[in-house]
Parts: sequence; structure tokens; C-alpha cells
Amino acid sequence: MLRPISQWLAQTPVSKILQDTPWVVPTSQSIHIFAIAIVFTSVCMINLRLLGVWRRGRSTSELVIALIPWMWRGLAVLAVTGLVQTITEPARQFGTPAFWAKMAMIVVVLVMTVGFARAVRRRAEDWDRPSARRYYPKVFAVVSTLLWLAIIACGRFIGYTWSAYS
Amino acid sequence: MVRVLVSLGALLTSIETWRVSAAMRGEIPGTEWLFPIVETLHVMALTLVLGSVAMADLRLLGLGSRKVSASRLLEEVLPWTWAAWFAAAVFGTLMFLSKAHIYADNLQFQLKFACMGLAALNMAVFHLGPFKHVERWDSGVPPLAARACGALSLTLWVSVAFLGRWVGFTTT
Repeated sequence: MLRPISQWLAQTPVSKILQDTPWVVPTSQSIHIFAIAIVFTSVCMINLRLLGVWRRGRSTSELVIALIPWMWRGLAVLAVTGLVQTITEPARQFGTPAFWAKMAMIVVVLVMTVGFARAVRRRAEDWDRPSARRYYPKVFAVVSTLLWLAIIACGRFIGYTWSAYS
Repeated sequence: MVRVLVSLGALLTSIETWRVSAAMRGEIPGTEWLFPIVETLHVMALTLVLGSVAMADLRLLGLGSRKVSASRLLEEVLPWTWAAWFAAAVFGTLMFLSKAHIYADNLQFQLKFACMGLAALNMAVFHLGPFKHVERWDSGVPPLAARACGALSLTLWVSVAFLGRWVGFTTT
């Protein structure tokens, strides 16, 4: 089912124009990496703070309020550049399980992050006192960090595992 | 000069015969996926370098984290930059070993290291210059010299990211 979609997408005028412009994919990938940098650094700073590994600097709620908006901006850039790469080379994306695993994990981590950001904004003091809510923040931090690491790894492995079919 | 270049060439040739270099090329059974794995770890580390540098630079430009004083923000993010840079350098060195000659001769690779050298110089200028009197502008908008250092740093590190990605396209 995916093959016809991939073939149709590759035949569209937009895809053809992008395919014929050799700098599009490398440039889009570089911007994609820079946006990952913004998102992943924000994620790591918040999560290590939740785990208590990182005690210096701002509190959890200060970090969340300062960094979550940057995460959404980064994610918007990731969506746009990711879409450009998919339109240009649909077979490369759809042809590998790494792409689908990445998309599934993104959905999970986004839902988790929205819930987490809401909870922190609602009751900041609960998250800033290390004694309160000992258990849930640490689970969130570990799961979210592992998911983001796996998302980055899958992203890189799309380039190594795609089977060309057109 | 010629002698230095000849011995550098000999060094690169000898590096390529090392066992770790062969493993990075996937030539030893069981190492077929080593290069992609090391490259993935390099990407993970470099995203933390870029992200932490961007936070510091945006603060210096007066565009982000304005609620936090500049010195506090730098104290908070620079340990990330150093730790992640060290990790990225270790994984990057392993990648370099796989094809030392090809990387050393690659223009994008050379430009990438030139940009990192300039970024280091820029950082030294910042710490010896505007940051010396940080108490005068710590909670407000940084002075022109600090903003210039921030803008230059951000430009150089964005260039490093682009050139690094470009190395991958020009060496395979």
C-alpha cells in the first residue's frame, strides 16, 4: 500500500522540483539537526533536573517555563524540514521500519510532554520541592530521555536502512 | 614545510592501517554497523553542543532567557557544552580514523575545523573582553561587544553543523 503512495508522491511536481535541486536535502537535514539540538538540549536539561543529577541553576518549573516554548519552536522546524525530506525522497522514508518507529515514538513523547508541561504549569511548587512527587517525575525523565535518544538514532538509521524501491 | 607535510601524509597512511580504523570501516567481522552507531553517538553529542551554545548565544544577543542573569545562564549551560563537545570529539575522532586521508583532504572538513578554531578564539575574546565586566550588564541587555561575540559564535557553530553534514555527503 505504501509503495503506490511513495511512487505517487515522488511523481508530484513539488517533489520533482525538490529532487532536481541538489542542495535541498543536505540543507534541510542541517536545519533539522540544528532544531534537534534545541529540542534535545532542552529535554536533557529538564530531565536531568527532574532526576536530581543536575542541581545547579534554575528550578524545574523555571526550566519548563523557559524551555518548553523553545521546544515547540524547534519541533515546528523539525516538522517542516522533515516534510521537505519526505516529499523529496518518499521511498527513502517509507521504505524503512526506522522511519515508522521514529514517527510512533514522536507521537508518544509529544503526548507525554504536553501532559507534563501542563502539570508543571498547574502546580509548579510540587515539582520544585525534591521531596514531593518523588516517583512520577523520575519515570517521566527516564522514559522521555530514552525515547528522544531512540528517535535520534532511528532518524540517523533511516539513512542506512532504507531499501530503494521506486 | 615539505618534510612536515610528507610526515603528516605518512601518519595518515599509518593511521588507516590501525585495527580500530579497519573496524570503523566495517572490515572486521561484527563491525559492519560500527560506523553508523558511532556516527549516531556523534550526532547525539553534537546536538547538545549546538543546543547549549545556542542558549548561551541567544542570551548574549538579548533574545532568549532574559529572566536569568547572563553569568548564571552561562554557568548553567557551559558545563553541558564542554562535556558534550568532548564526547563529540571522541566519536568524531573514531569516524576520522576510518578514512583519515579522505577527511584530511576534504575541503568541508577543513573549513569545519577552521570554524571551530575561530569559535574557540571568539570564546577567548569574550571571556577576556566583555565578560570581565559582566556585573555591569548581568541582568540587562548585554553590551555591543558581548552581542557581537554571541552573534559570531552562533554563526560559526551553525556553519560547523552545516559543514559537518556536508562532509558526510562529500566523502562517500
